[in-house]
Amino acid sequence: MTADTQRWIRPCTLVYLVLVGLTLVTWVAGRLGLQGMGVTFFVLGLALLKGQLIGDGFMGLRHVRGFWRWAILTWLVGVGALVGVAFFLSSGLH
Amino acid sequence: MLVGERSMTRGSNLPDTTRYPPGDLAVWIFILAELAVFAIFFVAYAFTRMQHVVLFDQYQATLDRNAALLNTLALITASYFVVRAVAAIREGRVEGCRRWLWAATGMGLLFLLIKSTEYAHHLGEGVRLSSNTFYMFYLSLTFFHFMHVILGVIVLLVLAARVGRGCYDARDHADVESGASYWHMVDLVWLILFPLVYVMH
Repeated sequence: MTADTQRWIRPCTLVYLVLVGLTLVTWVAGRLGLQGMGVTFFVLGLALLKGQLIGDGFMGLRHVRGFWRWAILTWLVGVGALVGVAFFLSSGLH
Repeated sequence: MLVGERSMTRGSNLPDTTRYPPGDLAVWIFILAELAVFAIFFVAYAFTRMQHVVLFDQYQATLDRNAALLNTLALITASYFVVRAVAAIREGRVEGCRRWLWAATGMGLLFLLIKSTEYAHHLGEGVRLSSNTFYMFYLSLTFFHFMHVILGVIVLLVLAARVGRGCYDARDHADVESGASYWHMVDLVWLILFPLVYVMH
C-alpha cells in the first residue's frame, strides 16, 4: 500500500477544499457589502493566499528550488503591494 | 524536462526537489510574461480607480457576483481536475488522465458559458468599452482573461485527445505538465481578478 492510499485525503484535494472555502469567504464579504480598509486588505490577503496555494499546491512549485520556487510568490507580493497601496491612498482621497 | 533525473517521493510520484518547474521551461517563461502583462493591468486598474473611486464603486455594484463566484469555483475545480490528470499520468494511469482532462475541459467550458452570459447581459444593457472608465477596465481585463481561458480549453482538448491516442505515459508526459501549468496560470490570474474587480471597494 502506498503512502497516498494510506492518507485519508490527497494533499491536492485538501488544497482544493481550502481554495473553495476561501473563495466563499471572499464572496460573502462582497455579498454583505462590507466596506473599509480592513475588509479590503483582508480580501486582498485571501486572494494572495489562494494564489500561493495554486503555485505551491497545484503548480508543484513547493518541489522546486531557486528562482522558480519564488517566481509566483514574488509576482503575488508585487501585485498585492501595489494594489494595496493604490486602495490605501484612494481611501484618503475619497 | 529531465523527469527521469528527479528523485520521487514514494507513493505520491512527486519529486522531492528539482531545479526547474514541471513541464517545458519555455512554457514557464511564457507564463511569467503573461503574468507580467496581467500585473500591469491589475495595477493600472487600482491606480486609475484612485481618480474615480465613486464611479468605480457605483458600477462595480452592477456586476453579478454570483456569476463570478460560480466562475471562480469552475476554474478552481478545473485546476483540481488538471492536478489529478497530471498525477494520473505520472502514475501511468493513462485512461484516468484522459478522463480528468475531459472533466477539466468541461469546467473550462462552463466558465466560458457563464462569462458569455454575463457579457450578453451587459451588452444588452448598452454597456460598451466607451461607457465609462470602470467598464473599460472591466470589459478589457475580463475579456483578455476570457481569451486565455479559450486557449486553455483548446490546450486541454488537444492534450485529452493525445492522451487518448497513447502519446504519453508515466515516463514521457512533459506536454501534459506544460499544459497543466498554463491552465493553473489562467486560474491564478482569475483568483486576483475576482476580488479586485468584483469585491474590493
